[in-house]
Amino acid sequence: MTATDTRPAPVPLPVRARDVLASEWTKLLSVRSTYWTLLIAVVTPLGTSALVAAAFAHPPKGGAPPDPLLPGFISLEYAVLAVGVMGVLAFTTEYSTGLIRTTFAAVPRRRAVLAAKAAVIGALTLVTGELVAFASFALAQAVLSGQHLGVSLSRPGVPGAVLADGLILFVVAMTGVGLGAIVRHTAGGIAALVGLLIVPTILVALPAPWGGWLGRFTVIEAARQLTALHPATNLFAPAWSLLVLLAWPAVVLLAAAVAITRRDA
Amino acid sequence: MIEVDRLVKRFGPVTAVDGLTFTVRPGHVTGFLGPNGAGKTTTMRVILGLDAPTSGTARVNGQGYRELVRPLRQVGALLDATALHPGRTAEAHLVSVARSNGIGRPRVAEMLQLTGLEPVANRRLRGFSLGMKQRLGIAAALLGDPPILMFDEPVNGLDTEGIAWIRQFMRALAAEGRTVLVSSHLMSEMAQTADRLIVIGRGRLIADTTTAQLIESSTRKNVLVRSPRAAELAGLITARGATVTPEDDGALAVTGLDAPAIGDLAAEHGIAVHALIPRTPSLEDAYLDLTGESTDFRAASPSPEEVPAR
Repeated sequence: MTATDTRPAPVPLPVRARDVLASEWTKLLSVRSTYWTLLIAVVTPLGTSALVAAAFAHPPKGGAPPDPLLPGFISLEYAVLAVGVMGVLAFTTEYSTGLIRTTFAAVPRRRAVLAAKAAVIGALTLVTGELVAFASFALAQAVLSGQHLGVSLSRPGVPGAVLADGLILFVVAMTGVGLGAIVRHTAGGIAALVGLLIVPTILVALPAPWGGWLGRFTVIEAARQLTALHPATNLFAPAWSLLVLLAWPAVVLLAAAVAITRRDA
Repeated sequence: MIEVDRLVKRFGPVTAVDGLTFTVRPGHVTGFLGPNGAGKTTTMRVILGLDAPTSGTARVNGQGYRELVRPLRQVGALLDATALHPGRTAEAHLVSVARSNGIGRPRVAEMLQLTGLEPVANRRLRGFSLGMKQRLGIAAALLGDPPILMFDEPVNGLDTEGIAWIRQFMRALAAEGRTVLVSSHLMSEMAQTADRLIVIGRGRLIADTTTAQLIESSTRKNVLVRSPRAAELAGLITARGATVTPEDDGALAVTGLDAPAIGDLAAEHGIAVHALIPRTPSLEDAYLDLTGESTDFRAASPSPEEVPAR
């Protein structure tokens, strides 16, 4: 064998992209944790939204009527953590087992690996998120409509808010993928994710106007703005909040793209 | 063909590879030898594009690894057989690796059969023994039918049967005209597998030679001489410029003069010689001579691992 006859014919970029996606898709679907995560991401929002709606259906007398879209948002709590951890694990399990070296030896273009992992987990969490969002919306409205507190999907602003609920899972999972690639350790990655998502909410508690001014840049407040029937006036408008929500995973994934190629595997 | 040229790799203050240059050619099993910590694994990682060199280059078939498209079709490597996701099945692992380089399922099935893993293909890897993981690693390395293969300490922790299987396998791969680079810290292991040897210590090249030449060049090559007039004979030998080391039982170990010369010398002076035995050092001895000064972490007394049974 000589050096020249072993060189393969050029492989077009779409084919290479398909190869890496197929590889990552196989990895994602061949471990049990993916299915457990999806189970949690589907079951807990449905249960919680029904429970919260039941509580909302009997509000204390004299209080303002509750936001009928709030149960759908609140119920995502465990689902968000589950898909966030799934995102983190995408890279950290490979780094902790050493499998990452097999992966990078097979695909030396590491950003392609990052993109493929983000794409398969993104697709899975986006589809799951939207299905769950619309299912828990339907469930919560079924409970609320008994007390005439529900809203219809045909009401302006409602479809967008429900779509945004589904988007939250995607956003958090993508942030997890990026953090996993940067931190490389599971515990550290999860801590970073929780820190990034939850710790900034302390800012919201700051006295006005600081609370609102800083709070509108947090994932949770941006998500809340997008999913509320009546968005708060002291925060960003929904369109800007959507930008804030998408900026978090975008920035983290960009940082990951830089870190992943600079460091030794 | 693997070409490493003036390769340097530093990790902070530690220089793991220090100006290493060598070429690994097809058709042979080339042993990559050195004490633990000599820089073998680091060199292999740089060849695979996993670690970026501080300076110098490593090329496979004339190209940098990171420039390769579908690299598994050109280089197959087994660095750490235990680097697996415990929850994945053997087949799923191989399929995920294969797909990344556009390799289909029939080839995966073929490799499972070749490595004898077919019966356990659908078992999760958490239950695999080290031997089974080594076989899986070899199956993964061969997926792309690559002309270049690299194995890092492939027999570590294997039983006798597993070692024999891997040895035979590597020789067969080289006989097919492939480039095979196998690292080990055990000379005894390489003696039975490798035709060529690249010996490194503290990140530097110590020898790039054939197994036979390495033995030939060892300083331990000597002649054992027994004589009733040993002291007298020793004086004569030393006068000829050779070195004489007395052994415990009164025999002489002579370096620098071969057996016929010693015999003739004794005969000239009428000295009876009772034994005249040319001694070839074991490959292990030759290796220890070479690497003795380059061992990073030397134990006060050699551990069993460092001095394997011959």
